[in-house]
Amino acid sequence: MQICHNVSSRLSPRRRMRFSFILPLAGLLLWGGASARAGASLRAELNKLPFKIVYEAYHNNNWDLWVMNGDGSDPVNLTQTPDLNEHYAQVSPDGTKIAFVADKGEGRSTIRSLWVMDIDGRHRKKLVDYARQPFWSPDGKILGYLPQQYHKFNVMDFYTKGMMFYHMATGKITPHVNSKNLWHLYNPSWSADGKWIVATVHAGMGYGHTILLIQADGDRIINLKIPGCRPCFSHDGKEVAWGANDHELVAAPIDLNAANPAVGPWRVEIKDPANKVYHVDWSPDGHFLAFSRGPATDGDPTKPGTFMAACEIVGVYAPGWNLFAVSATQDGVIDLTKPDGSKFIQLTHDGDCNKEPAWFTGPRQQLSARR
Amino acid sequence: MKARVFALAAVLALVSACQKSGPESHQAGGNPAGAKTGPIDFSTKSGVQMVYLPGGEFTMGSDHGSPDEAPAHKVKLTPFAMDKFEVTHAMYVKVELPDPSHWQENGNMPVEQVRWRDAKQYCNERSRLEGLKPCYNEKTVDWDCDYSANGYRLPTEAEWEYACRAGSDEVQDSVDSNTLRQRAWFRDDSEKKTHPVGLKRPNAFGIYDLQGNVAEWCEDAYSATYYKNSPLQDPTGPLNPPHGAKRVIRGGSWRSSTDECSPTFRQAEATGDADACFSTDFCGFRCVRRITLAEVEQLNKQSGTPRH
Repeated sequence: MQICHNVSSRLSPRRRMRFSFILPLAGLLLWGGASARAGASLRAELNKLPFKIVYEAYHNNNWDLWVMNGDGSDPVNLTQTPDLNEHYAQVSPDGTKIAFVADKGEGRSTIRSLWVMDIDGRHRKKLVDYARQPFWSPDGKILGYLPQQYHKFNVMDFYTKGMMFYHMATGKITPHVNSKNLWHLYNPSWSADGKWIVATVHAGMGYGHTILLIQADGDRIINLKIPGCRPCFSHDGKEVAWGANDHELVAAPIDLNAANPAVGPWRVEIKDPANKVYHVDWSPDGHFLAFSRGPATDGDPTKPGTFMAACEIVGVYAPGWNLFAVSATQDGVIDLTKPDGSKFIQLTHDGDCNKEPAWFTGPRQQLSARR
Repeated sequence: MKARVFALAAVLALVSACQKSGPESHQAGGNPAGAKTGPIDFSTKSGVQMVYLPGGEFTMGSDHGSPDEAPAHKVKLTPFAMDKFEVTHAMYVKVELPDPSHWQENGNMPVEQVRWRDAKQYCNERSRLEGLKPCYNEKTVDWDCDYSANGYRLPTEAEWEYACRAGSDEVQDSVDSNTLRQRAWFRDDSEKKTHPVGLKRPNAFGIYDLQGNVAEWCEDAYSATYYKNSPLQDPTGPLNPPHGAKRVIRGGSWRSSTDECSPTFRQAEATGDADACFSTDFCGFRCVRRITLAEVEQLNKQSGTPRH
């Protein structure tokens, strides 16, 4: 991602006025030493909530899916499969199932497949080969996915052609009504009202690179004309978060009921000029955002099951990457370079390629049962 | 920068008899049939048109251009073959790779927004498709090149310049836009986009679009001072460049000035590895490979490709 926008330049005049007060005030608070307490209180707040996060990490030359509490405590390896590399976990809206992709093999012979399992890692089932980037319908009855463009493997995230729907009750697979015209999409997310799917397109469908709103049961496509990639709807469908560039994650309102839905001014901006920030995901209550953060690297082909490309891409080794969470309840800028971290907390600390967090609601005992 | 291009007028005179030709055509091009020391057109096993170039000694660089083009120096090259056209969307699809290009409305347009490693992956896949030994080791960080392999690879900077000069050692101080228009899509005639390959005149070796349209990746890491120490025989750029070193692109593109389309003009570009949305829509490439004259003749015999 190349384009940078300062949040203050994108805000409405009213919000800019608000920022003129908020920013200095926030600065005073930070320098006043209140930040450590604020960070601690954010962790304490998450500790009390029944939220969990599933994510991918690379340990012992293998990718697995891990799950931890929303405050980063109690991480557990859910998959433990040395012969498979699991990625890109997506939790069903009711919090009972995890859809994910698994890579088997090496190089261009790798087969990436779509799988589903119970939230505790049991009852794994492969659904379809050569499939990527699952996304759940809001009622959990359909698991959408993007078929791989060709069978030969390629790690690039836009290596997709079409859009398919796996019906959970019957196992039937049907194409999106406009599937033949959808290609080079990635990172889809389904809106709460079920009417729209938001996704990035790169070098496809007549676009260079942009974020599109795609009608779920029709052929309408709207270019949201917002810079960046990897959009994610909030669970109430009223906001969307995405990566505006390599170093900024933003959240903004979106009015899906408008005749021509559009994204409003940025409400929250998370920035880190030194590291990449990616893979933003909303907590079930919409109060928090989790994301991945780490240095810009381009993989390591000597590591089994990994590929050379930008480290944010699924399957690319990303040393030093960890997961973080922020509070999204207040408008403003969250600067991750401020060491006091009043508005954010670090969830993982080992730097073992922790990426692609996905929140869900679940009781703590589910984790200990797996142990 | 002082404007200069070598012997463009002389080269244009050489190709004046050449007709316009697209990638599906076998018309214009290399040496007359039977001229074993000159360029020879042929088609590969997968149907890609290439030109066999006899190699030999030529003058590389310029003492009248940018500092990194100096000194002009002698280079000797082993014979090799180069793609007659820039790699197109149609060629990319054939090896089942995700085409990252901005402009895809015509299959004969060159691929762009291609990372250096994407281009190398295409080379390896095309090698596999034709049963050749891939040049690039995909298990090394920079996908090291085995120059002795018979598969496809990116040209070295020296090979590229040799092909673009097409036999001319002379240097001309300037070239006007109207002259360059005859063979290149560049700033003055491109309308800010790429164009199908092969629509302009080829150079004296029968190779199209070496100047303009898309700038072409080379294998070499960029060094502004490399020419001061470049070896005489088959130079391959600075040895053991650091990971992430910029690589050379040559020939200018649809957005370049006349000077930037000069055969001696050197440009460094980041490889794009760490950029998931590489949007450098002026970067493309073409392939080269080691090949013997006997293999070329055999391929022409099998395919029935007329030689020029």
